[in-house]
Amino acid sequence: MVLLVGLVRAVFWRLIVMREKMEKALRNSDAEYTEIRIENVTCSWANFRGEELDSIGSSRTLGGIVRALVKGGWGYATFNDIGDLESRVREACKSARIVGKEESKFAEVEPVVDEIRAPLEKDFREISLSEKKSVIEEYNKIILGYHDRIETSNVAYGDSFRKVWYANSEGTYIEDERPDVGVAISATGREGDNVQRGFESVAGSAGFQVIEGLQEKAEAAARHAVDLLSAPPVTGGKYTVIINPRLAGVFAHEAFGHLSESDFVYENERMKELMVLGKRLGSDILNIIDDGSIAGLRGTHKYDDEGVKTRKNHLIKDGILVGRLHSRETAAKMGEQPTGNARAIGYQHRPIVRMTNTYVDKGDATFEDMIKDVKLGVYAIDMVGGQTSMEMFTFSAAYGYMVRDGKIAELVRDVVLTGNVFETLMHIDMIGNTVEWPPAGGGCGKGGQSPLPVGLGGPCVRIQNVIVGGRQQ
Amino acid sequence: MIVNRLIEKAMQKAQGAQAALGRSESTNVSFEDDKLKSAGVAQSTGMSVKVVVDGKTGSSNTTDIDDVDGVVARALEAAAFGSPAHFEFPGPQEGPDVEVYDDAVLPVTKEEMVRIGEEMMALVKAYRSDILVSAGVGKSVSKAQFANSAGMEYTTETTSFGVGVNGQWVRGTDILLAGHGFGWKKRDIDHGAIARKTIELLKMAENIAPIKSGAMPVIFTPEGVNVLLLALRLGFNGKNVFLGSSPLAGKLGEKIADEAFSVTDNPLLDYANSSGKYDSEGVPHQVTPLIEQGIVKNFLYDLDTAGRAGATSTGNGVGCKPTNLVIKEGDTPYEEMVKNTKEGLLVHNVLGLGQGNPISGEFSVNVQLGYKIDKGEIVGRVKDVMLAGNTYEALKNIAAIGDKAEWAGGSLLTPPIQIARLSVVAK
Repeated sequence: MVLLVGLVRAVFWRLIVMREKMEKALRNSDAEYTEIRIENVTCSWANFRGEELDSIGSSRTLGGIVRALVKGGWGYATFNDIGDLESRVREACKSARIVGKEESKFAEVEPVVDEIRAPLEKDFREISLSEKKSVIEEYNKIILGYHDRIETSNVAYGDSFRKVWYANSEGTYIEDERPDVGVAISATGREGDNVQRGFESVAGSAGFQVIEGLQEKAEAAARHAVDLLSAPPVTGGKYTVIINPRLAGVFAHEAFGHLSESDFVYENERMKELMVLGKRLGSDILNIIDDGSIAGLRGTHKYDDEGVKTRKNHLIKDGILVGRLHSRETAAKMGEQPTGNARAIGYQHRPIVRMTNTYVDKGDATFEDMIKDVKLGVYAIDMVGGQTSMEMFTFSAAYGYMVRDGKIAELVRDVVLTGNVFETLMHIDMIGNTVEWPPAGGGCGKGGQSPLPVGLGGPCVRIQNVIVGGRQQ
Repeated sequence: MIVNRLIEKAMQKAQGAQAALGRSESTNVSFEDDKLKSAGVAQSTGMSVKVVVDGKTGSSNTTDIDDVDGVVARALEAAAFGSPAHFEFPGPQEGPDVEVYDDAVLPVTKEEMVRIGEEMMALVKAYRSDILVSAGVGKSVSKAQFANSAGMEYTTETTSFGVGVNGQWVRGTDILLAGHGFGWKKRDIDHGAIARKTIELLKMAENIAPIKSGAMPVIFTPEGVNVLLLALRLGFNGKNVFLGSSPLAGKLGEKIADEAFSVTDNPLLDYANSSGKYDSEGVPHQVTPLIEQGIVKNFLYDLDTAGRAGATSTGNGVGCKPTNLVIKEGDTPYEEMVKNTKEGLLVHNVLGLGQGNPISGEFSVNVQLGYKIDKGEIVGRVKDVMLAGNTYEALKNIAAIGDKAEWAGGSLLTPPIQIARLSVVAK
């Protein structure tokens, strides 16, 4: 009992010290705005490739960043040694003075003091590496025993627990806990030179329980790898395409989401014209939302990395551009409100405008409605990835089925969809009636910061005239 | 050295150990939307330990270089139920000479970096003032220590320097992005040439050229060659070969490409990004031919995978990944390649590379920056176009290889390559 009290006291004392240290260092700043973010990250991993465990281990990272704003210019310093915060603050201010030449614009927000504890249920920090290993060992065995055409496997477990201390010169002080745990399951099937892959992933900002009980996912990965060996590649061309919820989330993210990030717009007069609020960008059934405040999703935080509270942001409403994502700087420069979307993947990076959890909102169609009048189309399922250059985008399905005369027909592989945001959003003609949030792993990359955990969701979506890559007959 | 203390500590319980420690400091300035936006310094430290206990390995790393006991304890914990070790730590060996440090990097000031960025921006703005320009200049200096329980030990100090400039040109709903950059371990970079290359890419894209779907000859610029190389990077990885997920497994000595095609893994090119005397397992670096005159010559191995596969490490640890890739020059001048093309595509940069099933060789990508060739001339940029094919089929179908290799980034040296026919899908 005595010991327990002692422990609580010791922890409490350390946290007070962190806040005092940060606030004391901030008083050394002569910049207009300064912030310090310190992170302590513990990670562990294990992964099987084929029969054998390929690697297992753990890491601990302690590091921080100081960011300072002087006359519209940013200076920063990142470091692993948090012993001398004062001189890091001075260094960031010095860099900022080299840069700054105009008037700073930075949206006002109410300072907050808050402490967030992550509800983990099963805390993965208290689970031994051997238990982590045995959970994925079972998934690995399921794959390798599935079929004699399974050539190999790759099953990877990873967790990280990120404790973040944030303090800025306006009096905001936040302690946040950001857990992330996931398993990526990949099965490789082979027949001669034909090598195909089935892939499933599950991740969450939660405890160990999210990656338990995935036997069915392991079997699905193996089944896809084997089935795809006998599936033909899709024939390239223009199709009516129905994307499933997992792909709809990628679509919302790649096809449109990045264009709504204001750092692409705020100092770019022509982009401002192109992305003026009130402009029609999609068909009138289309609604796209980014919401960093939905409990339990991977892109969820109470505050972003500038201490701004996250919220639900409508981006497209009934096909009309109604909002965009901001940092405090882009919001001020565009005369709009900050939205809580300044995010950094870690202490080595400055926050930039990012999505959180992005989804296509539900419509009223059933899946039957969507396929019944399609003469020749593609039903594209699950994601492998996506990329955008703002106007043009591409995303890849794990696999797909042809739709022929209103019915699901043969399995096809190598389904890659591409489009132009200004056309494709107008070509959405049906949206399903249930939003799903498949708990997939992976993350988003931008400006050298990857992977950032994001949530991707939606219902099934039907799009006309989509270019599907591939060879032609 | 701290690494020796790590080894000493680990060997109290382990039968083998390896330790590495690194410190680096980098300075960057960046310009966004026509103006200087930020400057800063990043300092980092870290150390890692790998141990072998009862034939099993475990590893751990930390940024806290005072935590010798903790990091060793965690590696030992992992090894208790770790992966089987199929290797022995290499003993002392002297690696080949290669230049990785340039005295001229450290003295470069932030002010000088700002000036370099401003000059690149001014050149691009002078071409067209309505193009929004972004740029970056960075340098870094790193020190590393390595030791293992077999007596191999080395320290190294490396520098790096890089510059890049991008233009964004928005006309109506048309958004053009093009840019060029280069970084390596040497200060010597002609930033004016980098800006001129960006201007050239933008200039060629002034017009938008319609293109019809169909099979056509495709020229990959040195940057564009990455589209073809992704499958090879995965396919020559010894671990993928051993596990059978590489389609090249079992094909040593077989002809898989046109005989004009040769590619080598070369970590001994002075100042290249992935160059150095040793790999991260203390194995001396070597030049490894991968394809010679179309024939598969070698795969890339690290210590453990080599042990599993009955091969020897090629110095590609950890992970069996290539270092710098060098593709042999052919005999066709680039200009001639373009001139000889009646109707075709020039591909510089793509979207979506690596999605799908890259190890099989299949690619299906959006041409982010590519140009239509019509009657031997580049007539403009293509848009909303998908390019699809298979690397292994394409390499058998090479129409021409350029007679001059160029750096595409700091770890690929390649001439442009023309493939006789690839599938292009346009809207």
